[in-house]
Amino acid sequence: MLSHQFSTPTAPGRVVVVGAGGFVGSTLVKQLGLAKVPVLGLTRKEVDLLADDGAKRLRGVLRPDDGVVFVSAVAPAKTAGQMMTNLRMAEAACAAFAAVQPGHLLYISSDAVYADDANPVTERSPVAPSTTHGMMHAARELMLRSEYHGPLAFLRPTLIFGAGDPHSGYGPNRFRRQAANGEPITIFGEGEEKRDHVAVEDVARLAVRILLHRSVGVLNAVTGVATSFHDIANIVAAQFSPRAEVKSVPRPGPRPHLLHRFFDITDLHKSFPDFHFEPLADGLARVHQESSVR
Amino acid sequence: MSIMALPKIGYAGMTHLGLCSAIGASSKGFDTLGFDTDPALVARIDAGKLPVVEPDLDDLLRDNRVRMSFSADPKALLGCDVVYVAPDVPTDDTGGSDLSGLDGLLALVLANTRPDAVVVVLSQVPPGFTAARQRSGRLLYYQVETLVFGRAVERTTKPERFIVGAPDPSEPLPLAMQQYLEAYGCPILPMRFESAELTKISINCCLVASVTVANTLAELCERIGADWSEIAPALKLDRRIGAYSYLSPGLGLAGGNLERDLATVVRFSEEYGTEASVIRAFIGNSAHRKDWALRTMHEAVLNKVPQATIGVLGLAYKENTHSVKNSPSLALIRYLGPWALKVYDPVVPASAALHPNASGAASALDAAEGVDVLAIMTPWPEFKLLSCDDLAATMRGRTVLDPYRVLNPAAARRAGLDYRTLGVA
Repeated sequence: MLSHQFSTPTAPGRVVVVGAGGFVGSTLVKQLGLAKVPVLGLTRKEVDLLADDGAKRLRGVLRPDDGVVFVSAVAPAKTAGQMMTNLRMAEAACAAFAAVQPGHLLYISSDAVYADDANPVTERSPVAPSTTHGMMHAARELMLRSEYHGPLAFLRPTLIFGAGDPHSGYGPNRFRRQAANGEPITIFGEGEEKRDHVAVEDVARLAVRILLHRSVGVLNAVTGVATSFHDIANIVAAQFSPRAEVKSVPRPGPRPHLLHRFFDITDLHKSFPDFHFEPLADGLARVHQESSVR
Repeated sequence: MSIMALPKIGYAGMTHLGLCSAIGASSKGFDTLGFDTDPALVARIDAGKLPVVEPDLDDLLRDNRVRMSFSADPKALLGCDVVYVAPDVPTDDTGGSDLSGLDGLLALVLANTRPDAVVVVLSQVPPGFTAARQRSGRLLYYQVETLVFGRAVERTTKPERFIVGAPDPSEPLPLAMQQYLEAYGCPILPMRFESAELTKISINCCLVASVTVANTLAELCERIGADWSEIAPALKLDRRIGAYSYLSPGLGLAGGNLERDLATVVRFSEEYGTEASVIRAFIGNSAHRKDWALRTMHEAVLNKVPQATIGVLGLAYKENTHSVKNSPSLALIRYLGPWALKVYDPVVPASAALHPNASGAASALDAAEGVDVLAIMTPWPEFKLLSCDDLAATMRGRTVLDPYRVLNPAAARRAGLDYRTLGVA
């Protein structure tokens, strides 16, 4: 659970977003702008954490009164190589944070750090990842805990959707693209697995709150509502005219051990009592509209 | 002391346990002394102003006043044949006990009683406590207390049994203690100190196990269309479970005593390397259920009504007590900061809510007036008298959270209320 160093929202002198070119990072920069918080977005162009001088360049930018969001990653990290690449990026970031300790650090992690059999998941569920992606985030959290000794927060989002998602992972983003291309929406088996999906804007709004309260600790960015892929596919299908076809296809492998995943969002109610998520159907409708405009 | 005379009984520590037990002793015909080091507290009690709320306790004192005396002078203990050391032992948020007050009082009692007097530790202590405080030439025993907040008179006058920790359980108890305990007409079970101290913890672990089963399955009922209130009576008719088993779902453990014993088992298991994951699961389930009202309120109302006004009935941790230790009501209120609150409790003042925007109401119905959601967080008997039609007429919103089923669910729904309770969808 989070504890707030500022009980009333207080903007830091500046927020530096490391990874501002990404899906979450770019949305966060926009939300910070809306909240009138001075923000410096760093993309790979300004600071390449994999370059030899990555740590040095980041260190040169940082100020002790900055709030910093570290959201730069090669995601998803499906291979050992991708995992190690991400850890090298974190190593460079840690070196910079150790040299110029910013006033507050927020790391955008992932719910993949939790064990598969944690259900319902809370912020106190054991960190026991079963994927390289989850292990990468868990390792990065440990690295930051080890190297940065100021107020530190971890935000662990679940599956994120949004109009600007560059990935096409199984879920609403892929379903929308399939339908937009005139293809059938394909679900594995009956699509019965229930998962939590959160809008990228809600993840960013939570991050802004954490920055404004200089919060410390862990918070899951999850809505507390788990919906089956079958139902999501049909919501997306109904947004197209004519309605897109939803087609069941054989699973690429055995049915996942983790059939459903639920989250208990009590900690969110306690940390930010007046924060409420955009309902999934509303979010998918908004994303559909935004995507149509693009 | 003559063999035929009744022994004089003393109770040291005039908080909940000591006070209720002392008045109970006087009701059995024993001259009884209530001792406390706080003269102001003793004066208040002596004047009939009891610092605890327990049904029938004032009447019990009045009926036995002739045998009951109170003093803040340790020398008064010299006249006692058996002295129970019974202060309430405070606990912290993690269930850890602060035994320093008990130790200080025990030393005072030992210093001010006759060498032949029996001194009995009655407070809740961890295993090993009494054995570690044995003194040569003194009679020091331990006795399990099984007081229940809100039912203290019943528990102290009609105990099911006495569990006594003794230096040598094969030896008879000292005569004065034996005479006193036999007056209650219930079984007396002497055992070694550690067994007696662990018996108390074992009783509470069994109670918590039952409650946790009820809470776990009640939550499942809330999702699959079952009703725990239909299931529990069937379980109670099973002799292996029993008619008095703790099968009512609730909002997690409260009051401090059960939590203290769970914390003690966890601490001992860590110290001695025993497996105690089930106890941690009890603690986890309690924490989860404690937030039922918060989760339900967000889901039912706060998601949709950002400027909601909230009514809260009950601040005490349970009915018929003034105690707010680990109260589910206060746990809820703590996280309702952004909203306006109207609160009412028959005993606890509204100031105990510690909420910047809470106002005290004059009555339960007054607390419901104009609110968007009403939470009945303590099952006080007077709340059962509320008319659902009156609530529906006076509330602005429709949602009522009634975890303990104080209201009649069917009547609430007939009145058009969006009625939410534990154990059913």
